[in-house]
Amino acid sequence: MDCRVLSVQSHVVRGYVGNKSASFPLQVLGFEVDTINSVQFSNHTGYEHWKGQVLTADELHVLYEGIKLNNVNQYDYVLTGYTRDDSFLDMVVDIVQELKRANPNLVYVCDPVLGDNGAMYVPENLLPIYRCKVVPAADIITPNQFEAETITIKITILVMNLLHSMGPDTVVITSSDLPSPLGDQYLVALGSQKRVNADGTMVTQQIRMDIPRVDAVFVGTGDLFAAMLLAWTHLHPNNLKMACEKTVSVLCHVIKRTITYAKEVAGPNRRPSPAQLELRMVQSKADIEDPAIVVNAVVL
Amino acid sequence: MECRVLSIQSHVVRGYVGNKSASFPLQVSAVHPRLATAGAARYTRDNRARAGAGGREGHMVLGFEVDSINSVQFSNHTGYSHWKGQVLTADELHVLYEGIKLNNVNHYDYVLTGYTRDTSFLEMVVDIVQELKRANPNLVYVCDPVLGDHGSMYVPQNLHPVYKNKVVPVADIITPNQFEAELLTGKNISTEKDAVEVMDLLHKMGPDTVVITSSDLPPRLGDRFLVSFGSKRILMPDGTRTTQRIRIEVPKVDAVFVGTGDLFAAMLLAWTHHYPTDLKTACEKTFSVMHHVIRRTISYAHEMAGPGRRPSPAQLELRMVQSKADIEDPTIVMEATVI
Repeated sequence: MDCRVLSVQSHVVRGYVGNKSASFPLQVLGFEVDTINSVQFSNHTGYEHWKGQVLTADELHVLYEGIKLNNVNQYDYVLTGYTRDDSFLDMVVDIVQELKRANPNLVYVCDPVLGDNGAMYVPENLLPIYRCKVVPAADIITPNQFEAETITIKITILVMNLLHSMGPDTVVITSSDLPSPLGDQYLVALGSQKRVNADGTMVTQQIRMDIPRVDAVFVGTGDLFAAMLLAWTHLHPNNLKMACEKTVSVLCHVIKRTITYAKEVAGPNRRPSPAQLELRMVQSKADIEDPAIVVNAVVL
Repeated sequence: MECRVLSIQSHVVRGYVGNKSASFPLQVSAVHPRLATAGAARYTRDNRARAGAGGREGHMVLGFEVDSINSVQFSNHTGYSHWKGQVLTADELHVLYEGIKLNNVNHYDYVLTGYTRDTSFLEMVVDIVQELKRANPNLVYVCDPVLGDHGSMYVPQNLHPVYKNKVVPVADIITPNQFEAELLTGKNISTEKDAVEVMDLLHKMGPDTVVITSSDLPPRLGDRFLVSFGSKRILMPDGTRTTQRIRIEVPKVDAVFVGTGDLFAAMLLAWTHHYPTDLKTACEKTFSVMHHVIRRTISYAHEMAGPGRRPSPAQLELRMVQSKADIEDPTIVMEATVI
């Protein structure tokens, strides 16, 4: 039985990128390859010159509609790569989702092309679409290291910058589901602070912290965190790294004291109760006054 | 040494017409390095020694380099119930060609064109061909002068004078059907003699190679066949000109296929490249490829449609990818007669 691929990529008159690079090899291996050309350029953009035309999201939709009207929108695979336009990428994902409803076994192979060697070479506004729509719909992805890091970390930085633009100069994302390099016993927190230097220039300091997870539900820790962040940003106004290390360290000490006490009081193999899990606040005074730093913030 | 083709044809997302029908077969085809092609490797005794059994000339299995300009992008061919898409204007075609030219890579051994609906687009194609021929005087322009079939035109009427006065004069190989050959020359074909005269008239207009891809002349092998003709003007080593003419009868198939003309022109390009002075063999190979692809396609289509049901256009799409081996090395299944 036929194995049919829908490939939505660039076309170049001369050379081998995008659909030109994907079609022939798949065809010689026996795949039926339907190709939507997202652009038609004379050649890739690494030459001295290049000229051509791009397909809009609407035109993409029109082509898909033609396939759909003929009832031939059944595919085993979808393949996508380099895209520069956010509305086009958005439309691609809508199409993938519809095709998946038609064939739940469809495999979406996605090369999340964002950049390489430390720099993005697509517009920044593609990042949230990759993170929130594209990658969640994909079954196979082939990021390089920069792309893997960018999809996971830099989205959150983008989010913090957006929050800055809404008003606050200091943003701390107290926990996230980002994977920690220290493993799954840690969770990742991020912080961002905009400030004006003595010479008048604006600078943003951004940090990441890997915080040991604790297997319990605490109440009030968020409130403690906000209060401590108030205190430590007051005491270290131009040093988000230090302020966060102290704040998080206080939380770590209080939580550790609390969980130890709660387990002791609950007894072996018993889940501590909410009452037993109340924060050991007054018992932690010394740690609150002068916290030993137990978490290092990495400046991004 | 590579052999580079510029193909300016339609693109369909799904199916096999235009560039979709031409590219893959040319890319999988073997390329025979021959002396006549500018810059080609010399045909040495070493190459001969590498020839396989069956008397095939030694060849480097390189595949043609196919640069493709898509004149349109449609969801599928217009024989389906629905079709949607966008067309390239003559200006946009020019812009793409400019990109190639600015990079100094506008060097081609072949140009291949087919179905076009727009006169300004066609005229731009001719301008490009003429410029490419100035860059490479050995360039071979393979042109399928698509005008119509079975007595009527299916492109706008104003394309006829453009083909007759501008396109065919710069073409080197043309693949008209009977209707198109008659329309271009103004002469009817009722007998084999007429066909020869029409092909001679077409030679006078420009192309040294003419293949009338189908006709309604009565086949000798019976009514399950149709008759095609070919004619090639060759310059002999001693400076004299000779004309090779052939007649070939191919099995008819009871179905309407789309994209077969495009496949034919592409394969004739490949096989005349491989057999530059042997029109008989080039045609036998080309028509044989067609036969294998069509047979595979009709079998599959009937299987998909079910007994007693007419296959749909989607089911009748050429089984191109599945025919790779036949495209690479077609078993000859018909014989051309020298006339």
